[in-house]
Amino acid sequence: MAKKQLITKVWIEEGCIVCDACETAAPEVFEVMDDTCVIRPDALNAEFTKPRSEGIVDAAEECPVDVIKFDSDTVEVADEAPTEPAAAPATETQTAPSPAKKAPAAEPKKAAPQKAPASVGKTKAPSAGEPDPSIQALLEAATSRGGNAGIMRNSTEVPTSAQGWRATDVDNLPPDARQAKVVEAAQKAKKQSALHRRDFVSNSAVAIGWTAFGVGTGISIGPAFGRFMMPNVLEEPDPRIRVGKITRYMEMAPGDVNEDYKPQGIWMIRDEDRIAALNIICTHLGCIPNWQPNDRKFKCPCHGSGYYSDGINFEGPTPRPLERFKITIKDGIVIVDKSKKYQYELGQWDQPGSYILV
Amino acid sequence: MDSILAASSTLDSVKHFINVACEPHWFLIISVLAFFIFLIGYRTWTKPIVAGTVSALATLFFLASCADTNFAKIVTKADNVPIVIMMVTVSFLLWLAFRQAAINDERMEKGEPLIEAGADDKVLVWPDLVYSELIALVLCTALLIVWAIILRAPLEQPADPNVAPNPAKAPWYFLGLQEMLVYFDPWLAGVVFPGLIIVGLLAIPYIDKNPRGNGYYTFKERKFAITTFLFGFVILWVVLIIFGTFLRGPNWNFFGPYEFWDPHRPAALLNTEFHDLFWVNTLGRPLPGHYLIRELPGIVLLGAYFMLGPVIMKWLFFRKISRDIGFIRYSVLCVLILFMLLMPIKMVLRWTLNLHYIVGITEWFLNV
Repeated sequence: MAKKQLITKVWIEEGCIVCDACETAAPEVFEVMDDTCVIRPDALNAEFTKPRSEGIVDAAEECPVDVIKFDSDTVEVADEAPTEPAAAPATETQTAPSPAKKAPAAEPKKAAPQKAPASVGKTKAPSAGEPDPSIQALLEAATSRGGNAGIMRNSTEVPTSAQGWRATDVDNLPPDARQAKVVEAAQKAKKQSALHRRDFVSNSAVAIGWTAFGVGTGISIGPAFGRFMMPNVLEEPDPRIRVGKITRYMEMAPGDVNEDYKPQGIWMIRDEDRIAALNIICTHLGCIPNWQPNDRKFKCPCHGSGYYSDGINFEGPTPRPLERFKITIKDGIVIVDKSKKYQYELGQWDQPGSYILV
Repeated sequence: MDSILAASSTLDSVKHFINVACEPHWFLIISVLAFFIFLIGYRTWTKPIVAGTVSALATLFFLASCADTNFAKIVTKADNVPIVIMMVTVSFLLWLAFRQAAINDERMEKGEPLIEAGADDKVLVWPDLVYSELIALVLCTALLIVWAIILRAPLEQPADPNVAPNPAKAPWYFLGLQEMLVYFDPWLAGVVFPGLIIVGLLAIPYIDKNPRGNGYYTFKERKFAITTFLFGFVILWVVLIIFGTFLRGPNWNFFGPYEFWDPHRPAALLNTEFHDLFWVNTLGRPLPGHYLIRELPGIVLLGAYFMLGPVIMKWLFFRKISRDIGFIRYSVLCVLILFMLLMPIKMVLRWTLNLHYIVGITEWFLNV
């Protein structure tokens, strides 16, 4: 029985010079980024790294700045094993040289903190004859989808290759150099941004100066700018609308509605003793109701509000009656002024100007 | 000849019966009953044979109804076709979710692994996601092109600010909001309630910290949460869209599915106010002069609804939940539920009593 080292955990310390040596030696384990090298997520799993021990050790040796660290377990393997179980066909990057020679060479590099996770403990080495189940699972995963990844859509259980990965505690993951760099950069930036007293005084002076300048400018040209935003000429139709001779409205019976000026937004109505001009806009949400002569009511098609012929609301959701416009007579012609409105709920329908007595 | 007459009169009475059942209060009551009957017997209703029979019968009923001119006119209107499709898709997706929940719940009782057990939570972007997206994109484009060719967009006369079409309907997805506006003032139904819907949906993850049902279908473990959410979605949103699409006709009156949309159909909808019901009808006294005294009964009623509601709900069926989630979460939950229930309560009051306002301070525009 010979002893053999299998790597259970690998990580990268600070100081990577991005030389690509490790990715060349073990591409499934290392990935060289722009500014540092990281461990691929798959390789955070002991079952994944064990069969790739050789490649990792190679990479650690070839690393010119020695930042690749790893934990390993020593297991016994049968003497007569021609090739060690880790050298499965799936791991095509494996280099041929015997592991016995490599393992001792890696020994001095184990100076880094050694915390072998309990969950990955000692796995019994499979004997030469039978295939290692973890490698079988990897093989299956690697070949099931064109070698892309170990994802089996309809599998009924977690693939063996993923079980160790799932069981791994997040806190036990090796410290990632990339993460450390980010933290370091953040701390540096924080330190730099700390305000010194002198900076504060000069900054305040600048801030006060600019604020004063801004306020002064605003006061001096603000009104001019505001005027600029308003139109010079406002194209508004005359709110006073001539709606014909008074005689035609005198002929209406109480409760009648004249719809001739609906396009101008006015209903002329005859109340008991007076003539008034109703605004056609529904007081609920601004639709245009229809006059229904048979039911003698205004009915809104949007939400079903209903008003009597005098504009008082009686059905549907509307909260208040229709509004009335100012109405006057000049030379026998009725003039409706749409700029002045009278609201019933404010008691304005009795104000002079809101009606013409018959 | 007699038999034909008899058959047509039988058909007419069936149509009349369905028209009556589609009157809003019956429709709402039937919808709510059907909703709870489905939830109680979800394991039976979602069985493929049962669900298949129900959907086959519904399709048959739909096709047979299309023989009626008025019905066919409503459902084949270009604007309304999406709502017909929506009714099918909502039913199908509900069935799909509840079917899986039923299977999972049964497996849980037997101690078997769930449907989702062992499923890897990772899927590759390429090819899985990109292929699915590509296929969906191609199918949707094809569908939209065919749809646009077959069902022309209705072009109407040029817009005139002084004429509103009768009935004037919002886009289908806003019909629920438009229906709400029939029962409440614009500031409530157009601002407060939609805001509460959004805030309430945002608040769900903070109120409901129960992790059960994460990543797997179940109904048994999340009865209250699923029922409450679906009540708001299916009854108070989808059913209101169906109201607005198929049942609201000229003058925003309700029409049965087989009824002719007659703009001159009389409708007696004279509003009553709660203060009239209380002071005049019950106490037989004239209305008090000051509006605060006049509206006191409505204010007390509404206050009791929001103050005693949480206490009564806790006492009746929220004992465990209120203990689990704490005072503040429970209060927020109760306020949201009470606002949600205010909707159907006011709707039924409007349909049955023509109640205009519970609290009607028109002087301040403070009407509920």
